Amino acid sequence: MKGHEFTEGIAGLVGERERVGWFSHEGLLGWVASVDHKQVGLMYIVAAFVFFGLGGIEALLMRIQLAVPNNHFLSPETFNALFTMHGTTMIFFVAMPLLTGFTVYLVPLMIGARDVAFPRLNAMSFWLTLFAGLMLYFSFFAGGAPSAGWFSYTPLSEAAFSLRSGQDYWILSLIVAGIGTVAGAINIIVTVVTLRAEGMTMKRLPLFVWMNFVNAFLMLFALPVLNAALVMLLIDRQLHAHFFTPASGGSALLWQHYFWAFGHPEVYIVILPAFGMISEIIPVFSRKPIFGYEFVAASTVAIAFLSFTVWAHHMFAVGLGHIANLFFAVASMSIAVPTGVKIFNWTATMYGGQLRFTTAMKFAVAFIVMFTIGGLSGVSFAVVPIDWQLTDTYYLVAHMHYVLFGGTVLASFAGIYYWFPKFSGRLLSERLGSWHFWLTFVGLNLTFFIQHILGMMGMPRRVFTYPALPYWAAFNMLSTIGAFVLLIAMLVFLYNVVMSLRYGETAGDNPWDAWTLEWATTSPPPVENFVRIPPIHGRRPLWDLAHPELADELGKVDA
Amino acid sequence: MYSKAKLAMALFIASEASFFALLIVAYVFYHGQPQNGPNAADSLDIPTTTFYSLCLFSSSATLWLSERNLRRGQYDRVIAWLVATIGLGAIFLYGQGREYLRLFHNDVTISRNLFGTTFFTLTGFHGLHVLVGLCALAVVAGLVLRGLVRERQAEAVEAVGMYWHFVDAVWVVIFGIVYLGSLV
Amino acid sequence: MTTHPTRTALRLLFDFVGAIEVFNLSSIDTLNPVSPQAAAITRLFLGVLVILAVIFVLVSGLVVYAIVRYRERPGSSMPRQLAGSRKLEFLWTAVPIGLLATVFVFTAKTMRAANPKKGTRPADLLVVGHQWWWEVKYLKSGVITANEIHLPVGKAVLIQLEAADVIHDFWVPQLGRKIDAIPGHTNYLWLRADRPGVYSGICAEFCGTEHAWMRFEVVVQSPEEFTAWEQAQLKIPQPPSEPEALAGMKLFNELTCVNCHRLAGTRANQTAGPDLTHLAQRRMLAGGAAVNNPQTLAEWLKDPDRIKPGSNMPNFHLSDAQVRALVAYLETTK
Repeated sequence: MKGHEFTEGIAGLVGERERVGWFSHEGLLGWVASVDHKQVGLMYIVAAFVFFGLGGIEALLMRIQLAVPNNHFLSPETFNALFTMHGTTMIFFVAMPLLTGFTVYLVPLMIGARDVAFPRLNAMSFWLTLFAGLMLYFSFFAGGAPSAGWFSYTPLSEAAFSLRSGQDYWILSLIVAGIGTVAGAINIIVTVVTLRAEGMTMKRLPLFVWMNFVNAFLMLFALPVLNAALVMLLIDRQLHAHFFTPASGGSALLWQHYFWAFGHPEVYIVILPAFGMISEIIPVFSRKPIFGYEFVAASTVAIAFLSFTVWAHHMFAVGLGHIANLFFAVASMSIAVPTGVKIFNWTATMYGGQLRFTTAMKFAVAFIVMFTIGGLSGVSFAVVPIDWQLTDTYYLVAHMHYVLFGGTVLASFAGIYYWFPKFSGRLLSERLGSWHFWLTFVGLNLTFFIQHILGMMGMPRRVFTYPALPYWAAFNMLSTIGAFVLLIAMLVFLYNVVMSLRYGETAGDNPWDAWTLEWATTSPPPVENFVRIPPIHGRRPLWDLAHPELADELGKVDA
Repeated sequence: MYSKAKLAMALFIASEASFFALLIVAYVFYHGQPQNGPNAADSLDIPTTTFYSLCLFSSSATLWLSERNLRRGQYDRVIAWLVATIGLGAIFLYGQGREYLRLFHNDVTISRNLFGTTFFTLTGFHGLHVLVGLCALAVVAGLVLRGLVRERQAEAVEAVGMYWHFVDAVWVVIFGIVYLGSLV
Repeated sequence: MTTHPTRTALRLLFDFVGAIEVFNLSSIDTLNPVSPQAAAITRLFLGVLVILAVIFVLVSGLVVYAIVRYRERPGSSMPRQLAGSRKLEFLWTAVPIGLLATVFVFTAKTMRAANPKKGTRPADLLVVGHQWWWEVKYLKSGVITANEIHLPVGKAVLIQLEAADVIHDFWVPQLGRKIDAIPGHTNYLWLRADRPGVYSGICAEFCGTEHAWMRFEVVVQSPEEFTAWEQAQLKIPQPPSEPEALAGMKLFNELTCVNCHRLAGTRANQTAGPDLTHLAQRRMLAGGAAVNNPQTLAEWLKDPDRIKPGSNMPNFHLSDAQVRALVAYLETTK
């Protein structure tokens, strides 16, 4: 902490890279040795995109295998390893680090702080996450990747049925990533509580910060649940204990309770920061403040609490008691209410506004509609009898991808287009962005919408192949074609990033005429973020500066 | 203004509590089920463990005395009470080690049955936390001894203290459920 | 199993054109219930789908309207800086609560209809999930079979569901809910089919390598046909007279077949693999991986991995003559 305290000691003098030991390195070493929240944040984002590529290749291989019935392109073991790796990668090494990257980059800037509360701990969180991901992929070279699914249900994931050491790599990798995540969550909470600039009250926090603040509590409590379960599974596998082995008295279901007690909060962990981005982007491009700030913030808290009470809706098919099923049905349905509140507030923000359809805004608006599809099909899983029919089918695969792709991924792209100028000093190409957006939108719906129907036709998930039943082949082929459209979209995006980094238009401090504090400094910001922090009298400090005649009055609510 | 270190420690403790809660749930869940082989009632040595537990509990008191003297700037006493705390913690660990050896001798192991599995996992993770706590206290004692900790750094010491009190509190729960619970 | 790629591509094209032209709801198993339980779920599902569709149209309609109406135009004035509305917040909190409460009432009602209580009567049928096949035992008549369940039409049958190794899930979409088969935990399920026919069943919980080929079929027959089937299943096969089949029987006993399988009237009495007593009568082979006929059975014996890679059936590297003999024998145990 010494270096950081030192920098804290010299207020006002910023922008000299060589001043402090930590920042004195250039080039690659400058990144590896960095504890600057912006560099750490960018490393998170870049690492997440590398894993996104890996997870995407895994998805494409699976879609090739499923394009035609009775296919022999992949062996069943390979296919099972691929979907295990795809799920684990996308959740733990894409969605979480990508969102965390935005969080650690933007939260200190948005609250007017110089860095996070514990910069070295922050860097440690990143390196733990990265090494956890590398450890997971190392399993490919160490006896074979895990193949018991990202949920690793026992006893299938126990030593008797999963002989490969890949399963142990999977466990260790997630334990390490989990420790990094908990450390990161502590960091964000302490940062938001202790490092807000003068005038930045909790009621004036940008919603992105609010959502990440709440999200940090979710991570703080949910990840240790997973880690405890993983430790027990590891003890079972390595020390021949009996936690989850029915053959020696253990319970196959205890694992499911534990896993989903983590797993459902996890679903919100990978969507709340996305909600935060949408809550920043839509108002800026509507030229209006967010509609119902308090309600968007409060509904986040409600979602966080409820998310710990709904885990067994993943277990309606196991034959829990009638009363338990009823309880979890009610809890799961009620979580739709605060989520709906958000959707309506985002939509209402656009009303009466002046919508500027930049690529970021296109992704954000598409997010509202796509996430609504995922949210609504989610409601159908809270209806227990429908869940009894459709859980573990492609209907669920479709639902979950509308939430994670239509939700988290679209929001993240909105966030990339919106904050890329801040990160790099250059704008992404809007023309290529438009191609990227439309290809993603079409590809996403082509790939996943038809899967609803496949599920209703009785196609179970996690099958490496299927019989040639009427329409199954045609619909699966359609879905595979959609996956390749998505591939093209991602290549366009990659090209856009590479070209824009070199030749992109210079962004300036505030290209979008936005109003949160990250836009009050240079692009990219200097080492300690701000030369001067503008006065904060409301939720939109830069707006108040630019439009003193229209300055926000806190809590102004109109009919 | 909040203390960053103490806030961070409080949050860390909350997440640790969530971890231990699951280990305890697993113990209680299987304790309530009929099983073959050794169980808590016929394997555990309650009187001896009560003695070692009292050592651990009283180490919370000695640590509190140490913290109080730190705020007063009486560093000799800080060190004396810290050494007492570490000593009591070490005695507890020694007691746990003896208990384990006795159980191994009676062929009660982690792979024997669900009692072994849940008992060793729960108490083992607690013991690991005691060990980490002892290391942290030793580091603090060393820093105080070399004059590197003074009143204004009391917060960092208090953060370590919070951790130690938490580890104690977890043992109160484990001792209550695993040891005293076997009596009923 | 193996078709020429061009033919596959052509068929896919036809399939696809056909899908557009004649796709109808009859291919959607979950919307074509043949049991009262499944029918209850279908009614609820359609009702909920309508509600969800209305909400979706509403939300996307609002979004599309905003996109068109409030798009930035040159010279447009600064929008009013409206920060919210308590009335609207109340509206879009209260209305969804009301809707969900209604959905919940129908959910609770349908849960019983879709999943009747087990009651006190003993189960009719024991179904055990294995990696990767289903063991089926008729508890009253003693019939043992695999991957194929015969039911008399219109009669409610209580299934006792267990698992031998890992978690599986028993699901016949047209007959109603799915339910897990869990080691160390017994589940019960009422099954009743109101129309004769063959309904596909699926293992719906990932259970390892060959989860995909852990399918089964429910054959629903008139009471007379069902009784006839049951009687035929109970017959103990007589040793064959034909020399090739006789050679097959000898092989069956000499090889390790008997260590895993059961075949009534022989010393084979194990459940690690499916019962083979009346194998030749069954419709499918290897959990649905192939249609059952002498030719596919021969292919299966020759190299199980070609049909179901990773299955627990070992490749014995049998000679063609040995395969022919075994097939001849298994065909006589009808």
